[in-house]
Amino acid sequence: MPDGTSRALIPTATTLADYQKQRGFQAYQRASGQGAQGAASILEAVRQAKLRGRGGAGMPTATKWQVVRDAVATRGGPPYLVCNAYDADLKSLVAATLLANQPFLVLEGIMLAAQAIGAREAYLYMHSTNRTGYAAVTAALNEARNGRLLGDLTITVVGVDLGFMGGEETTMLEAIKGRRPMAQQRPPYPAQVGLGELPTAIANLETLVQVVNIVRDPAAFAKNGTPASPGTKYVSVYDVAGNGTLLEVPFGTTVAAILKNAGITVGTDTTRGVVVGGPEGGVLPLTQLTTAFDYEPLAQSGTIVGSGTIEVLGPQTCMVDWARERTKYLTEQSCGKCIPCRTGTKRIAGTLAGIMSDVGVSSDLDLLNEFADYVPDGSLCGFGWHATHPLRTALRYYPDDFKLHLQGKCPTGACVPVRSHRFVTKGVL
Amino acid sequence: MATIVRERPGTGSGDSFERDDHGQPSFTFTIDGQTVEAHEGQTILSAAIAHGILDIPNLCNDEKLDPTSACRMCLVEIAGEGRPLPSCNTPAAPGLQVTTKTKKLTHIRRTNLEMILSDHNAYCQPPCQIGCPTHIDIPGYLELIAAGQNREAARLVKEVLPFPYMLGLVCPAPCQEKCRRALVDEEIAICRMHGFAAEQCIDDPPTPWPQEAPTGKKVAVIGAGPAGLTAAYYLALKGHSVKVIDMMPQPGGMTRYGIPEYRFQKDMLDKELDGVWNLGVEYQGYAKLGKDYTLDDLFAAGYDAVFLGIGAWTSNPITFVDNTEASPEDTPGLINAISYLMDKTQGMPVPVDPGTEVVVLGGGFTTFDCTRTSVRLGAKVYTAYRRGRAEMTATPEEVEDGEAEGATLKLFSAPTKLISEGDKLTGIELVKMKLGEPDSSGRRRPIVDPGTEYTIPCNTVIPAFGQKPDVSYFPTHVQGVKTSKWSTVVTDPWNFMTDRPGVFSGGDCQMGAKTVIECVAQGKLAARAIDGYLKGEDMAAISQRLEAEERKPDLISIVPYKPVEPKVKMPMLPYEDRKRNFKLIEMGYTPEQAQRESARCLQCACPAAGQCDLQMYSIEYGLTDNRFHDGEPNDFHDYEVDISHSFILRDPNKCINCTQCVRVCHDVIGPNCYGMFGKGFDTIVSTPFNVSLHETDCVSCGACVQVCPTGSLMMAERELVKYDFALDRCIFCGDCVEVCPHGALGETPNFELSFYNRVGNGVTLHMDDLARAPDYLVDQRVPRRKGDVPGGTNPLIRPLPARRIRE
Ligand SMILES: Cc1cc2nc3c(=O)[nH]c(=O)nc-3n(C[C@H](O)[C@H](O)[C@H](O)COP(=O)(O)OP(=O)(O)OC[C@H]3O[C@@H](n4cnc5c(N)ncnc54)[C@H](O)[C@@H]3O)c2cc1C
Ligand code: SF4
Ligand code: SF4
Ligand code: SF4
Ligand code: SF4
Ligand code: FES
Repeated sequence: MPDGTSRALIPTATTLADYQKQRGFQAYQRASGQGAQGAASILEAVRQAKLRGRGGAGMPTATKWQVVRDAVATRGGPPYLVCNAYDADLKSLVAATLLANQPFLVLEGIMLAAQAIGAREAYLYMHSTNRTGYAAVTAALNEARNGRLLGDLTITVVGVDLGFMGGEETTMLEAIKGRRPMAQQRPPYPAQVGLGELPTAIANLETLVQVVNIVRDPAAFAKNGTPASPGTKYVSVYDVAGNGTLLEVPFGTTVAAILKNAGITVGTDTTRGVVVGGPEGGVLPLTQLTTAFDYEPLAQSGTIVGSGTIEVLGPQTCMVDWARERTKYLTEQSCGKCIPCRTGTKRIAGTLAGIMSDVGVSSDLDLLNEFADYVPDGSLCGFGWHATHPLRTALRYYPDDFKLHLQGKCPTGACVPVRSHRFVTKGVL
Repeated sequence: MATIVRERPGTGSGDSFERDDHGQPSFTFTIDGQTVEAHEGQTILSAAIAHGILDIPNLCNDEKLDPTSACRMCLVEIAGEGRPLPSCNTPAAPGLQVTTKTKKLTHIRRTNLEMILSDHNAYCQPPCQIGCPTHIDIPGYLELIAAGQNREAARLVKEVLPFPYMLGLVCPAPCQEKCRRALVDEEIAICRMHGFAAEQCIDDPPTPWPQEAPTGKKVAVIGAGPAGLTAAYYLALKGHSVKVIDMMPQPGGMTRYGIPEYRFQKDMLDKELDGVWNLGVEYQGYAKLGKDYTLDDLFAAGYDAVFLGIGAWTSNPITFVDNTEASPEDTPGLINAISYLMDKTQGMPVPVDPGTEVVVLGGGFTTFDCTRTSVRLGAKVYTAYRRGRAEMTATPEEVEDGEAEGATLKLFSAPTKLISEGDKLTGIELVKMKLGEPDSSGRRRPIVDPGTEYTIPCNTVIPAFGQKPDVSYFPTHVQGVKTSKWSTVVTDPWNFMTDRPGVFSGGDCQMGAKTVIECVAQGKLAARAIDGYLKGEDMAAISQRLEAEERKPDLISIVPYKPVEPKVKMPMLPYEDRKRNFKLIEMGYTPEQAQRESARCLQCACPAAGQCDLQMYSIEYGLTDNRFHDGEPNDFHDYEVDISHSFILRDPNKCINCTQCVRVCHDVIGPNCYGMFGKGFDTIVSTPFNVSLHETDCVSCGACVQVCPTGSLMMAERELVKYDFALDRCIFCGDCVEVCPHGALGETPNFELSFYNRVGNGVTLHMDDLARAPDYLVDQRVPRRKGDVPGGTNPLIRPLPARRIRE
């Protein structure tokens, strides 16, 4: 597996024969041969490995599965399994690459997880625009079915194109149910009440791939990563020109090292900042690139693991404008259900647009700071909770960009005004 | 007792609980320290409401629907939870510690409301209507004028004000100061618009409603000013026989004898007053109370009630900075302002001509009428006022016009003495004033700036320092009516009755010199009180009722969205053409201009006002300002209203996306007429493909209207056939409830339980419960605002629109 820093993805295996040459389905066959004990042993291996969900939030996978098993005991089952292979962040290369290159690996992960929780039905939820991935995974599924590898497990592939919000877990469940894809309030968590009102485990495809790795060789998995987050993580790294590479890096690698491994050199003259985490990720200045790529250190720096996308921003980037663009995008992608997210992000974007267009006033900063908390505090789902990382990090690391714009100057000279006047406060007449 | 077996998703904990009175497993937890009981599966909000804790705001929750948690108003803090959770969705659990009021929660809730109101393209109550002392239905008549229905517009105005033409010319328009259109560009020419409507039908004026049959009661109105004539008008409409008695030859009061011809032409006054005489009101001139007859005489002559509207006709004397006074009677060159204007309006000779140098003192209507009359007579005119421009009570237009027509303004100047040579006035000495330190009320009064005296040579000085009523004859001739130390008539503040039963008073003589519109407002209220008095009603009750109606409703700041479209300016007589004549200076709008101007009205009137949850919370959370005014067009939505359905009016501009209608129509009723559409900021609840509701499978049950927390869905007016219901024979079988295909009976409180329990989750109901069902049910219901508030008592709340909601 990884050489300690990064490496290209494991060799492609799009036929059953190829996959079997790569130890394919051995782990599953071993576990499934042991019945209930096999299920318990998968769960135990995942617990021991301290595997954290790769979808962005980093919940321990074993904990979630335990909740599902407990809920089944009290509320009944069987539970459902959903594999999130959606890549909500269009820049993320993870799901697209894994599905295209290793469809059987993904299927084996689904099968192991289904066994661990006792699911008989699983959904593979992906982007309908990912044609290659879809072709690969349906072909693999057919081959696995024909080879009677799935046992009594039914796997259904669901392809949707629902924008960034489509990756949010409750939205995803609504979409699978055939309802309007909008977030639902948690608790109750899908692990307790999900599809068919039954306990439902949701796992990112990368998490499931790691489950296969853990069951195959727990020691190899444990070699990498940090005590809090063992193992590796796929990251999609983009240079200033927008060329992306997928890398697999151990948790704890610094952002700087990841960039280096991707062959990207950063310096004050070429780089204004590095965005970590995808559309809702924050921006880090060069001085923060020593931050370890791991949940807690990134949170401390003001950003998230998120989609695992890392983007380098060029020297012409004005951070006011960058935060505005990001927030504007989120305003368009919000499911529109709850007030703080639907309208709060819109008002942040509008206020940033005012500052960026040199019509802002200093009290706009107070408003932005207030809304940086209001939107996450008030919002219903993870989308809103994370929607202000771009704003917050821009304010935190680039206060001068805001100051200069308030004085009527763009720090990089790149901004083209988009508003002729700012929002104003008016009372009742 | 009832046994209830109910399972709710998400809460199957398998714990065993105590059972409550209804046999449901129950447990306790705390809300703000108060211990409350809940049954398994009950949400925190529902348990709170059941315990009378009603102050957790909620805009998207309804007992009969599954929660959605979209509005984020009901958020509460729960010990051990990282973030606030919606109480409408979170199940209560044993030992939970819930806090409903914290600074953070208040901030989130208030900001939620601010967010909603920043994209809520409507308004509850027209602030203009509240600003107008008579509370005309301003958006109503503007809408009519925009539709070309001028006579109907005039009729609507006459419901509260008999002289729309007159006021269209002389009113200082307090309504316009409140006009919300100013948030977009400029206020609406509200005032001139009713003048326009009335002018269109001045020869054939409408009455607001048909005159009632004669009552046989007689009322004497003393004083034919706006107050008296208004009282006469509404009393006559009520069928009383009214006689207006005045000391002057002709009716109109100050509007005839004070306001100069160039502002308001008297032939038009005569035409508009015909509206009063047409109702059978009689007029008698040359008859002065206190000289020709007494109050007792009137009662002796058989009048059942008397209204005193004698105005304020005594000019205040000139007061110098040392507080000495001088009066026109014994000072040469000093002229009484009111007599001057009165003589001029009557065509009598006045002591001002092209050779005169005039100094007018003061800053009110009278000041500028004297100024501009003198300018028209060819005099050289100075107008001196002891304060600044902003403090003048005359309208800014009048001041501006006065200057443009040729008068010289001397601000912050007060008279110190008159300068005479022999018995001829040769000048006036003035001193500059400056603003003093703020007094206890924070007001900075002008004080003398010593050593800044200066003289203006002149031969005429007109002090226009206001007027007060002449009540010198009251003790002897107006028996039993008290006056104040300001020489005003003392009445009850709301029913306008004096200490003498049957004697009422209003207008300038009750308030001190004010404006026509305020006098009209009093005349109208007094007429209603007199009508009540003549019908033998309790005067204290009338006073209370009128007070309740006058209460000013709270306003909130809602961001309006309309493309900018400047005011259509009133065509004015050019300054050049005003010299040496008294031609009307306002030339009037053309019908096309009037329509265009009226159409600018934002129609700030919502039929839900007073029953709307959003409005209620916004008032409660003090949303008197909003930080998101003046955005770009894409910051707001401007949706088309859907009025094609016969019973249900839809205005998506007021929709807050609570999805209660979506859920009730899908989950409870069935036709599934609504859904959410669009994405992100543009998400909106609508019908499939945004067709008119009329085109959907709607069964017109009205359930969506009932759950809608705002005015987005409203019932159109309809006449319901009523069926009798024999409570003594009903055995609460609920059959009727079940057979109704539209669930209509399930919606009424008396039947709700039977509906839910008979069809609901395996519930059986005990005989006892059935017997006390009506009470039990009413207790159980969560109060909903709509229908909760008795409608029609507040004149500022428009009833369900007979016309349409908004365009
Ligand atoms: C020069 C001037 C200009 C003004 N311009 C404006 C303006 O532009 N807009 C505006 O809103 N307001 C204006 N006002 C104020 C407005 O005219 C008055 O507030 C309003 O007319 C008062 O109405 P009223 O009915 O109370 O009294 P009045 O209009 O004063 O009428 C009182 C009537 O009672 C009669 N009367 C008095 N005593 C007796 C008695 N003893 N017996 C019998 N009859 C009696 C009088 O003859 C008179 O007809 C102006 C006032 C003046 C003086
Ligand atoms: S819906 Fe409510 S808040 Fe909106 S305008 Fe109507 S009354 Fe006001
Ligand atoms: S826009 Fe129309 S309804 Fe609103 S305040 Fe102005 S005149 Fe009144
Ligand atoms: S009135 Fe029509 S739209 Fe409303 S709930 Fe009933 S059926 Fe649905
Ligand atoms: S129209 Fe429907 S979604 Fe909109 S506010 Fe009314 S009930 Fe809520
Ligand atoms: S979120 Fe609970 S009532 Fe709307």
